[in-house]
Amino acid sequence: MRKLLTFLMVAFLLGLPACSSQATAIPTTLTQVRLPMGYIPNIQFAPIYVAMEKGYYREVGLEIVPDYSFETDGVALVGAGELPFAVVSGEQVLLARAQGLPVVYVMAWYKDYPVAVVAKTSQGIKTPADLKGKKIGLPGLYGASYVGLRALLNSAGLAEKDVTLDSIGFNQVEALAADREQAAVVYVANEPIQLESMGYSLDTIKVSDFVQLASNGIITNEKTIAQNPTLVHAFVQATLKGIRDTIADPNEAYEISKKYVETLSSADETIQKKILAASIALWQADPPGASDPLAWENMQAVLMDMGSYTKPLDLSKAFSNDFVK
Amino acid sequence: MTPAIKTTMGSDVTSKPEDKSHLALHGRSRWLGVLSLLAALLAWWLIARVSNLPAFILPSPGQVWDRFLRALSDGTLLANLWVTLQEVLLGLLAGTVFATVIGYLIAKSRLFERLVSPYLVASQAIPIVAIAPLLVIWFGPGMSSKVLICALIVFFPVLVNTVVGVRAVPASLHDLMDSLRATRWQTLRFLEVPAALPIFLGGLRIGATLSVIGAVVGELVGADRGLGFLVNVGRGQYDTALVFVAIFALVGLALILYGLVAAAERRLLMWQDSKTS
Repeated sequence: MRKLLTFLMVAFLLGLPACSSQATAIPTTLTQVRLPMGYIPNIQFAPIYVAMEKGYYREVGLEIVPDYSFETDGVALVGAGELPFAVVSGEQVLLARAQGLPVVYVMAWYKDYPVAVVAKTSQGIKTPADLKGKKIGLPGLYGASYVGLRALLNSAGLAEKDVTLDSIGFNQVEALAADREQAAVVYVANEPIQLESMGYSLDTIKVSDFVQLASNGIITNEKTIAQNPTLVHAFVQATLKGIRDTIADPNEAYEISKKYVETLSSADETIQKKILAASIALWQADPPGASDPLAWENMQAVLMDMGSYTKPLDLSKAFSNDFVK
Repeated sequence: MTPAIKTTMGSDVTSKPEDKSHLALHGRSRWLGVLSLLAALLAWWLIARVSNLPAFILPSPGQVWDRFLRALSDGTLLANLWVTLQEVLLGLLAGTVFATVIGYLIAKSRLFERLVSPYLVASQAIPIVAIAPLLVIWFGPGMSSKVLICALIVFFPVLVNTVVGVRAVPASLHDLMDSLRATRWQTLRFLEVPAALPIFLGGLRIGATLSVIGAVVGELVGADRGLGFLVNVGRGQYDTALVFVAIFALVGLALILYGLVAAAERRLLMWQDSKTS
């Protein structure tokens, strides 16, 4: 009896490592996936960095290589089948599909559209209607900033001709600080925090307070969905884990991000953590990762009103919630 | 007796066998140029057709032509072309004037050269695409920053050629002017300007084509009008055919400017051709 118990004990102990290695088995060969992020390395991409650092992508056989080229290049590469995924804003999906790019939005990262219009409080611009007759700086007459502004103007019954637009590149902070513009279109989790840290008192008009628009998320292409839906599901689930962990522990996410954002260690930690907190506030999709069909309808309405395309698109093909379950 | 023929300038010259063969060669060159262009278009069409790439990657010549006609008919192309043209002309004028004045001073004064050369060389070492965003911040998103960027890019080639041209005037000719008791203005007008003109115009030809690049760099950074802005719009809407239309318009603009300077060169330097013939 004693010998049997000893034998069973040894067998059990020997079996333990095998069981645990099966539970967290990392594939021996990893598929390298270049992931266009559409912006420079930034704390706002913390969930990706967290997922990379904690091995969520490696667990499903992926090695992610962040790519910081332009958003439109990422969309074109995914549409051409050169890359499987990219992080893009929602309007890019419809603009791309209108030109025949077969991209599909498979995960909503941001619930709220991150674009806002800010002005110094001395300008008295507190509502979209107050923008009438004002000089507004924005990066350019394209992209999420322009779409967000047009949506805000629409909400107040204003047209583009009712305001003066200045294409100022990514110089909104400088333009507002120097009073070159009366208002500027910004990312709500970035420029307002920088300006307030400089001591400016601001009024912020968020697009998401007036209209829900399809926002930042993950895209893939129709070919990848058809040929490798498992890959899409795995990537989306790993990214959702990264988002979940970042929301649960922003301080940990901040420390992890220092490894991936070269300038973060020397940056003002207070401001950067505010940027992360403001970003987290935009990520509260419910259920996590799911697209709101109304947000896509609103986005199509804005784009068609802007003349970006004339024939309505089949929105059911533009996004999918199949991979967030 | 060899027959007299009229040249394009309207003067009678005596026809020589060498002139006839030169004209024939010139005519053949023109046709070869057209054939080369057609061959390039054919190659493009074949690549687009055989590769079967989608239009947002590589539009065919036909798709670009259609897009060109649409942009022309709705006024988009001409409106933006006009803005870029203004920036180019103003930038070219400003850059050329400053480069000519400073180049002349450098050519005439070693002390001035020693004072300004480090700054001039350093300024050219800075890539214009890196400094363009700063110029847009400092001078605003309007036309002034684009004209400034354009002038900066034109400045150096014209400056260098001005310096080389003025210094290339033989000392013996300066001595001759001195012996004739010519004033500084007379020396400048009757000796230095004509003597330096060939080299100066060479620099101006380069500057004219570079001026288009300068205007576009400024527009790509921050503009709401112009051909560079049109490139951004095309990119932002995955309308690659529109990007091609804007690029071809820029190429056309650069070629026209180059041609105008070359034509001015032939007109102003006619004395050189008659001297050698």
